[in-house]
Amino acid sequence: MNTTQQPPGPDRQINDLARHDQKLYETALLVRCDRLGKSYGDFHALTNCSLQVRRRDVFGLLGPNGAGKTTLIRLLLGYLHPTAGTCFVDGINPEDDGVEVRRRVSYLPGEARLPRHMRGAGVLKFFAELHPSGNLQASCEIADRLELNTKTRVAFMSTGMRQKLALSVVFGPATPLLILDEPTANLDPTVRATVLELVGEAHDQGRTVMFSSHVLSEIEETCNRVAFLRGGKLAHELSLGELFQRHRITADRPAKPVQVPDELSDRVTVTEFSMHDDGPPHLRIDTAGDLAPLLSWIESLNLQRIRIEPLGLRAVYDAVHTGQEVTV
Amino acid sequence: MIDRILIKKYAYQSSLLFAACAVVLFGFAWVRVWVGTFFNLSEYAVILDQLEEFEQYSPIEFSALLTYAGQVGMVFEEPIVIACIVIWCVARGSDVVSGELGRGTLEMILSQPVSRERLMASHALVSVLGLALLCLLVWAGIALGIQTNVVDEEIPPPSIELPILNWQVSLPGSEPVVEQVPLRDRVDATVFAAATFHLFAFGFFILALATLISSMDRYRWRTVGVVVGIYVTQVVMYALGLVSETLSWMLGFTFLSCYKPQNMTALIDKGSLSAPWSLTNTPTDFAFPPLAYPLILLVIGSAFYVAAIIIFRRRDLPAPL
Repeated sequence: MNTTQQPPGPDRQINDLARHDQKLYETALLVRCDRLGKSYGDFHALTNCSLQVRRRDVFGLLGPNGAGKTTLIRLLLGYLHPTAGTCFVDGINPEDDGVEVRRRVSYLPGEARLPRHMRGAGVLKFFAELHPSGNLQASCEIADRLELNTKTRVAFMSTGMRQKLALSVVFGPATPLLILDEPTANLDPTVRATVLELVGEAHDQGRTVMFSSHVLSEIEETCNRVAFLRGGKLAHELSLGELFQRHRITADRPAKPVQVPDELSDRVTVTEFSMHDDGPPHLRIDTAGDLAPLLSWIESLNLQRIRIEPLGLRAVYDAVHTGQEVTV
Repeated sequence: MIDRILIKKYAYQSSLLFAACAVVLFGFAWVRVWVGTFFNLSEYAVILDQLEEFEQYSPIEFSALLTYAGQVGMVFEEPIVIACIVIWCVARGSDVVSGELGRGTLEMILSQPVSRERLMASHALVSVLGLALLCLLVWAGIALGIQTNVVDEEIPPPSIELPILNWQVSLPGSEPVVEQVPLRDRVDATVFAAATFHLFAFGFFILALATLISSMDRYRWRTVGVVVGIYVTQVVMYALGLVSETLSWMLGFTFLSCYKPQNMTALIDKGSLSAPWSLTNTPTDFAFPPLAYPLILLVIGSAFYVAAIIIFRRRDLPAPL
């Protein structure tokens, strides 16, 4: 008979607790990727990507074209088969049961194409019937909010109208996870704002959202966590709460070289730069965390023409994109 | 295994093509039977005597055409009937994966909790049912033609038989009489059940082939090109196999060798109505029992479908271009 040897008394309790904690941790995660990779011959579309999305996160995916965002999403949905690593959505591996994964996910592709022979209302009905959590009334209400005429045939809709129709399809079912690949592409500013409102409402309803976009302000506005992808690799992860504690101080370079105290070295990056080749030298100090403990050190530097500004996502994006060190 | 909503979608999507093919097949079969009644069998015999050299290119002996059943059964070999069935099968088969991928609509459909197997099975059900209905419409057109048409038959004049010599001599002053006979008195439409089944098996093979190519491709135009290319190659091989004794081996490598609607009709003419459905008796001039031919097409077609499902399940689905 095959028996598993249990450790004695206290050790066993510790193991049980560890298992319990692990289970709680895994339950809190809706999406988990472990060293996930996808290669096509010599081309690596995604390499060694390990990330987690917690329940109720609004998780932003950022990166230039070809960074691997769509590949990551398509692996999560089971469109692609990974060549390395694994991923789980709500504890289910899409390789094992892609249908069960998609039962829990509403997905808006980067370029949503819908059956051209159908009218808008027909498309909403078709997808509402196809998804077990489909809700035709909710989809129709969203279409109304987006000011979409659902009587028009898809073939005669403009790109923006088709995007609105796809959004109405995707926001209809009340799935735990919503994956939106560039949801505001091709939309006018008013409708963009409505889409961001819809994302916020989904979050308020307790749904988790994964959101890929090139518009950094949208990510800043809606997401609480962001992952940066570059060249098929997860380059950086960031909590937007931490980002709001980041600042950039710009000033003329002082005569004396700047020395960063040891206790601040992990939170401060100092760089010198010039606006032009022959321009006066400037000093840039990027800070992370609460600014208050740094103020006395900054005062001691006797900087001239000082400017302090909150560091936005743009700066982090640029740093990640150019391969610079990111303090947060 | 199948999805009601997807079936509705595919049925609606293919309805226009189906309606067009249905009208053509039903109408053509009916008209073709009617046109056949313009000529009586003795006139056919004269024409076929002149074409004797070409008998080797025919899948059946010319003598088999000198019956009403043989004449009506030619509907199943008509290019219009074959073309309509091929168009339906290639159009529907090529649509399932590469068609949806090319249009970019597969992405949204598969983002729903629908397995790839279920998608393909739903598509196959609509396509196969459509094919079966089209074949039945050909049969129905023939049946209607048989029911509504008459043929002219020449009744020889009264004659007497001379004793000892056994000669038939017409009575002086008597003329042959032409009488109109309902075609239904000469041909029974049930005779064409086996030929209809052969047409279905032929279509099923092409449909499954197109589905298989579609499951591994991402461009519909390429799928259609490959399937039509294979079909034309098979037709050429079949023709060469019939024409040349040295190339007769090619007949073993073309699926058209299994399409024998006229042979089935001729078999019934010589034997019984159940003759084409035998899996045990092998008639002369046949390599296998008659039912084996359509079954070969159906088995290979089913294998294509299984392969298509496996390939579709394993493949990566590219993002729409």
